[in-house]
Amino acid sequence: MRLKRVSAAVAMGAAAALALAACAPGGPATSSSSGSGSAGGSGAPAAAQVDGTGKFELGDVKSQDKEIKLSVGSTEFGGYNGMTPETYDTYTSAVRGMYMSGFFYYGTDGKVIPNTQLGTAELVSESPMKVKYTINEKAVWSDGTPITVADAVMAWGTQNAKLMGSDGKTPVFNNVSSDLVELAPKGPEGDLKGKTFEVTYKDPNLDWKLQTFLDFPAHVVAKQADMSVEDLAAALRAQDKGKLAKAGTFWNKGWNKGPGKLPSKELNVSSGPFILDSWEKGQSVTVKANDKWWGTKPGVNKLTFRFVDPGAMVQALQNGDLDVMSPQPTLDTLKQLENLGTAVNIHRGNTMTWEHVDFNFRGTSVFKDDADLRKAFAMCIPREQIVKQLIQPLNPQAKVLNSRVSFPGDEDYDAITGAAYDKKYDSVDLEGAKKILADKGKDKLKVRIGYNSPNPRRANEVQLIKASCDQAGFDVQDISSADFSAEGGPQTKGDYDAFLFAWASSGQLTSDRNIYTTGSAQNFGKYSNKTVDEELTKISQTMDLNARVESLKVVEKQLWDDMFGIPIFQHPGLDASSSDIKNVKFNASQDGISWNAEQWATAK
Amino acid sequence: MLQFILRRLGVSVLVLLLASVMVYFLTTISGDPLAGLREQANDPKIATQMNARIQNLDLNTPWFIRYLKWLGGAAACVYGQCNLGVDITGNQVLDSLGAAASSTLRLVLISVIAAAIIGIFVGVVTAIRQYSDMDYLVTFVAFVLFSLPSFWAAVLLKEYAGINYNNWIANPQFTVPQIVVSALVIGVLAQLCMGGGLKRRLLTFVIAAAAVGIALPYFTWLRFWQFPQMGPAVVAIVCLAVAVFATHVTVGIKTKQVLYPSLAMAALVLVVYYAGWGMLSEPNWWILAAGLVLAFAVPWIVGHFVGGRYKTQAIGAGIAVTVVGGFLTIVDHLFVTWPSFVAMKPRPISTIGSNTPNFNGTFWQTFLDNGTQLLLPTVLLTVISVASYSRYTRAAMIDVQSQDYIRTARSKGLPERTVVLRHAFRNAMIPIVTIVAMDFAALIGGAVITEQVFGWKGMGALFQTGLKNVDPNPIMAFVLVTGGIAVLFNLLADVIYALVDPRIRV
Repeated sequence: MRLKRVSAAVAMGAAAALALAACAPGGPATSSSSGSGSAGGSGAPAAAQVDGTGKFELGDVKSQDKEIKLSVGSTEFGGYNGMTPETYDTYTSAVRGMYMSGFFYYGTDGKVIPNTQLGTAELVSESPMKVKYTINEKAVWSDGTPITVADAVMAWGTQNAKLMGSDGKTPVFNNVSSDLVELAPKGPEGDLKGKTFEVTYKDPNLDWKLQTFLDFPAHVVAKQADMSVEDLAAALRAQDKGKLAKAGTFWNKGWNKGPGKLPSKELNVSSGPFILDSWEKGQSVTVKANDKWWGTKPGVNKLTFRFVDPGAMVQALQNGDLDVMSPQPTLDTLKQLENLGTAVNIHRGNTMTWEHVDFNFRGTSVFKDDADLRKAFAMCIPREQIVKQLIQPLNPQAKVLNSRVSFPGDEDYDAITGAAYDKKYDSVDLEGAKKILADKGKDKLKVRIGYNSPNPRRANEVQLIKASCDQAGFDVQDISSADFSAEGGPQTKGDYDAFLFAWASSGQLTSDRNIYTTGSAQNFGKYSNKTVDEELTKISQTMDLNARVESLKVVEKQLWDDMFGIPIFQHPGLDASSSDIKNVKFNASQDGISWNAEQWATAK
Repeated sequence: MLQFILRRLGVSVLVLLLASVMVYFLTTISGDPLAGLREQANDPKIATQMNARIQNLDLNTPWFIRYLKWLGGAAACVYGQCNLGVDITGNQVLDSLGAAASSTLRLVLISVIAAAIIGIFVGVVTAIRQYSDMDYLVTFVAFVLFSLPSFWAAVLLKEYAGINYNNWIANPQFTVPQIVVSALVIGVLAQLCMGGGLKRRLLTFVIAAAAVGIALPYFTWLRFWQFPQMGPAVVAIVCLAVAVFATHVTVGIKTKQVLYPSLAMAALVLVVYYAGWGMLSEPNWWILAAGLVLAFAVPWIVGHFVGGRYKTQAIGAGIAVTVVGGFLTIVDHLFVTWPSFVAMKPRPISTIGSNTPNFNGTFWQTFLDNGTQLLLPTVLLTVISVASYSRYTRAAMIDVQSQDYIRTARSKGLPERTVVLRHAFRNAMIPIVTIVAMDFAALIGGAVITEQVFGWKGMGALFQTGLKNVDPNPIMAFVLVTGGIAVLFNLLADVIYALVDPRIRV
């Protein structure tokens, strides 16, 4: 038996060996290792940028037949119409920017720069305020229809939250941008089939460049609503809710059929360098080059936005599953990226979101009626230490922010801070704070500082503030909670002393009015000062940029004197790209890393 | 039995209802649904968005009224009018639920099956060789795997099985130290597993080490890693071996009623291998499904008529041969496709996603793409659950082996394989069935981390996104499905229990 087993085993082994020995090396006969030489073209100088911080001046571009994969986060693409409140977010806007052109865009420092490929816009009169737009003669939608004034009327006429549908509750056009009709009641005036129009604003508006005058195609909406383009434009100009009902229904729902479902070919129309190509639910959305695009050709034929968790991005980049990534800026991610050495380019910078401590001027606040106490607290906040310990490791260029109305990147930052801020709070002044508290007869003054948790960075900030301010005679308490600023939370009830949070700026020149004037919605602490109100109202009624700066100087001075709150730093941003990808550049605005994705090209 | 099932169902529905109230309430107080918008509220667009979200989530209504509205919609599922509401982005939850469930199922199904097979096999073997070196080795490995945090293991897997493999496959070479070390390690492991006296261990070590030491450079010389090949010879030999082995294990090699049909099946596999080559080069799922049906039907018919009194064994052995043969045929097609696949996807193992975006290949290329995307998460899930299965099986087997009826069976003079397979194993399976069934239910809901790190959008992602957005509807859908599956599998386990254990059959 044993012998039999052994011989069976030997026989099997021999058979296996025979089968294996019968094999010859697979694959093509010669091993051709003489591939194309690895041309390390990283030494090439970067092209100049339009207006200093705008897109690159690349000259004549020929699209590579390549695909670049990027991820800006794990959030699903919202849909073709990314302007509804349900779909409007930075992730969807990143994709939307590929197939929708606008007259302006944000440069790398957040400055608003004209997009001359679509056309030009110029201020022709200040009072009444008139802007003249000229659409590029060659501009066409991807189905060949020329882009005309009718499209501008379409874009304008949908931005009216006051135009309610038949139920009286929901607007006809469910558009996140909701006040343009109110700002410019007559809308774009010009021949519907022509390429030039004029817009007259009711009041002067410094932020006119941020208004949208081109988004969705009028001819598509008209067809879906069974109207002629002329009738649609007339109804829009008249804001006739009865005639617009059908168009509104299509605008709200017709393009967005749910994740993974692209609109049909006749609805999927692009005015940008790319056009939506495929969308796989939960995985990715791909745009391909728009062959009707009249401007500079995109660098590659395909861009794929993958929905990837930030924690998985670095390894995906390392493995070539991603070429460009925009993770959460954490120290951990940065270290992992640095470990990859020359294989990646790391892009860092300041974003337009800025962190600050704001005081409460109402309710149970200890700071309610006492500017000196607010100043004492501001004196002991270790702003430099916070920046050095928490922000500089991520962005070595980070500095303490000294303005509530401008960023260091702005031209006027130095002028405003120079006039309004005496550098009194540059370093911690414990003695000064102690003295004020002693004068007021306060000891161990309880200060409740809140923020929306969980937020590890803010928890660390509060710890640093506590360590410093407790020495000065305060008793700092962290009252953060998940619903700190939610409806019914401590912030809405006014049940706090100081609030640590950030404003994400969208580059508006007049937005300070919403934060600092009496009774405005974002003035959480209910601060009120007549000078500030007056000056900020002035800004909203002028077209004079110099007057604006002068007003801001006054406002900023007043805010320092009243110690409205104290700015600390700009949030750091972190992006990374494979070193094979050219023309990737950090952008401070919310457009993020994909702001010039049509210019990216690969050296692979 | 029916009354028992109905009673259990009734109780389960009650539990589900209570759980749904709890979860709904906890979700609504878990945070601020507008938190993500608050710091941007200075932008008028965002202010509009906040108002719209308050409308969409119906935030001005108390939570219990919102819950009742949801319950009304969900209850309508009973008569097919499901309305699970919309999520924060205005999409129907029912649509996302379908996609999420299918994605998770794809991820979990293979790993549960693989983990059950490997775990039970390892458990049985370690129980038979209790307190041997192999037992200790497996115990050690099982505990290591059991305590692996999955997010960390995922990072390691991506690093070594993903990124490093992809680097290596570009130019697959082994250095001499690599070959020597692998040979030694595998030799040591092999002798630990085989056990026996010193001489036998030494022999095992030498054979295993030599096999690895020769195989690695030989396969590299064959350029097997880039151009894998198998060919009909290997298929033929393996099928014959399976036929012989299956006969040997079940009834002994001399039983012609089993041996002949098995050998016939092996021959049939080869015929199909050649005749079907063209069709299988560009198949579709229907052809493969038909093949699978035939792989069971043909040996069943043949065994049924030829097997005589060994019918069952003949059918079993025949099916083993056809299934293995079919599997090898598919593997051979994949081998043939591999070089063209790698040309399309030079880094075959991805770290993220359930497929490569915009991958347009032939059937087998797409199959390989999906397979390589599935590989890492499946391995991770398998490895983690193998540990517990092997431990449970081992404990159950040891428990059963000390029973009187096993002693009786042995004293009756039954061969050891009959004692182990027929008497011990079948009884040890009873508790395992419950565990596998419950585990499957848990895995559906529990692959949250694996899904997240590998970029799959399944049930876990549905739950997680819902929680992040403080958006109750997706979470409730998740609870409904996982809760429902838990109830269902509990019930199923009871029924299977009755099937495997004759004592509680009613």
